[in-house]
Amino acid sequence: MAHIFRVGELTRAVKEVLEAEFPLVFVRGQISNLSRPFSGHVYFTLKDAEAALAAVWFRGAQGGATTGSGERYNPATGEVLEPGAAMRLGDGMEVLCAGRLTVYPPRGVYQLVVEMVEELGAGRLHQEFEALKRELAVLGYFEAGRKRPLPPHPVRVAVVTASTSAAVRDFIKVGRDRGFGCQVRIHDTPVQGEAAPGRIAAAISDIGRQGWAEVVVLIRGGGSIEDLWAFNTRAVADAVFACPVPVVTGVGHEVDTTIADMVADVRAATPSHAAQTLWPERAVYVQGVDDLERAAVAAAGRLTTDREARLAHLRRGLSWLSPARRLTRAELSLAALAGRFARLGMTLTDNAGRRLERLTDRLARTIRPGGGLDAEVSLDRAARLSQRLEAACGRIVRDRERSLRDAGLRLAGLDPMAPLARGYSLTTLTRTGRFLRRASDAAKGDKLEVMVYEGVIRAEVTDVSAPGGPGPERKAECDGGEERT
Amino acid sequence: MSARQETFEKTLERLEAVVARLESGDMPLEKGVALFKEGMALAATCRKRLADAKMEISLALGEGGDVPFPDPAGPSSDEPGGGADVG
Repeated sequence: MAHIFRVGELTRAVKEVLEAEFPLVFVRGQISNLSRPFSGHVYFTLKDAEAALAAVWFRGAQGGATTGSGERYNPATGEVLEPGAAMRLGDGMEVLCAGRLTVYPPRGVYQLVVEMVEELGAGRLHQEFEALKRELAVLGYFEAGRKRPLPPHPVRVAVVTASTSAAVRDFIKVGRDRGFGCQVRIHDTPVQGEAAPGRIAAAISDIGRQGWAEVVVLIRGGGSIEDLWAFNTRAVADAVFACPVPVVTGVGHEVDTTIADMVADVRAATPSHAAQTLWPERAVYVQGVDDLERAAVAAAGRLTTDREARLAHLRRGLSWLSPARRLTRAELSLAALAGRFARLGMTLTDNAGRRLERLTDRLARTIRPGGGLDAEVSLDRAARLSQRLEAACGRIVRDRERSLRDAGLRLAGLDPMAPLARGYSLTTLTRTGRFLRRASDAAKGDKLEVMVYEGVIRAEVTDVSAPGGPGPERKAECDGGEERT
Repeated sequence: MSARQETFEKTLERLEAVVARLESGDMPLEKGVALFKEGMALAATCRKRLADAKMEISLALGEGGDVPFPDPAGPSSDEPGGGADVG
């Protein structure tokens, strides 16, 4: 027979099995039958289309785990929780619960003891978000091409946020040690609630109109999707889109992305990050100045080093050209020349000595008894030369004889006496001693010598006739004659 | 004010130009020395500007102008009229 349980006993057994089997479970479902008694615990039923599960969220677990400094945080994600998360739960909400299963014996029901609740999708809001996103995407609000770069060192910055928020505190805290000084104007707006979208949009439009700011910063601290809802509205999206200067957003935590983030020129993850995005750390500028200063020192050093090197070079050149150095060099080269000269002299005498020795040798060979052969050869050679000399002399004598004969013949042809043999004569005017060519050269009474082939006739002029035919007066008196060869 | 901050950028630009000129090395020594002195002075000015740099925060009051906004993150209470109440 099987063991018969008592109710309590069975329930305890079931409880043990259940708790051992499901120490921690994640369940998602929709909330219904939510109740919040004065105890502070929250009771609800999680249900889906198939089943329902009773759930209790005890007051002590509602803040999540607690850090040393008293902040509440989500043990699953590490995210610091805003207080009052439990107060936002409502019927119809889609949630993810983490907890353990247990049995509540008095009522004999099993239930989920909730440790943590996370909203899922948020139903209607999520749909609205997606619808607006699609609409603005079609209008080109998210185009990467229209994103403007931020000015590199903005010095006039307009901040749109709640002036008392943690967001503005974080922004200022981070921004203070960045950039090289700037002006920040805070435009105080609510960042959640009915009025928020309109006030935020108006502030952005005002800033654009005033034209003072180089950049607009739109920031808000973390919160639930409803808290951030102003940043998912068409009004804010339009204002960001129309803003004439670049807009930086830093809304919520890093995981939150709003429509405003998507329209903005630059999306920073958080307000602190927005400050980091705007300005480089001041230390970077200091380092840049240090680098420039070092570069200047190095460049100036090079400038003088170059000149020192040139100076040293010139100094060397100058000392090379100095008179003292030139004198030294001249002395050196003189010494070298003297050395060469001495060596040359020795070489000369050496050469002469050697030449003398060679000549002595040759002489000794010539006159020594065995040199007879040389003498015969010389004799023979002398005989031959003698023959050639005789032959040459003979030729020369014959040539000369012939030349002489020819000259005699030519001379005979040129003999002035030759024509006399044929009857011509030569007449000399004794007064002048010259041959007479013109009758007019002679005067009456002049003595003439007429040379004929054989002998000379002396005559006297009796008459001279003017040029014309030969006058009969040119008749000479012959008074003797002289033989001429 | 804004003029001072723009001067920082201009000073930095001038310093960059001076260093570039010095690095080109193509100048008489006297000119180089003068540039070097100017560069050192500019660097000192830049450092001073950076040391003095601060964020001036004000709260825009619509058309009514601005009021100083106390730095909520630090004890920089040397701002005149630091007691502006914002709420």
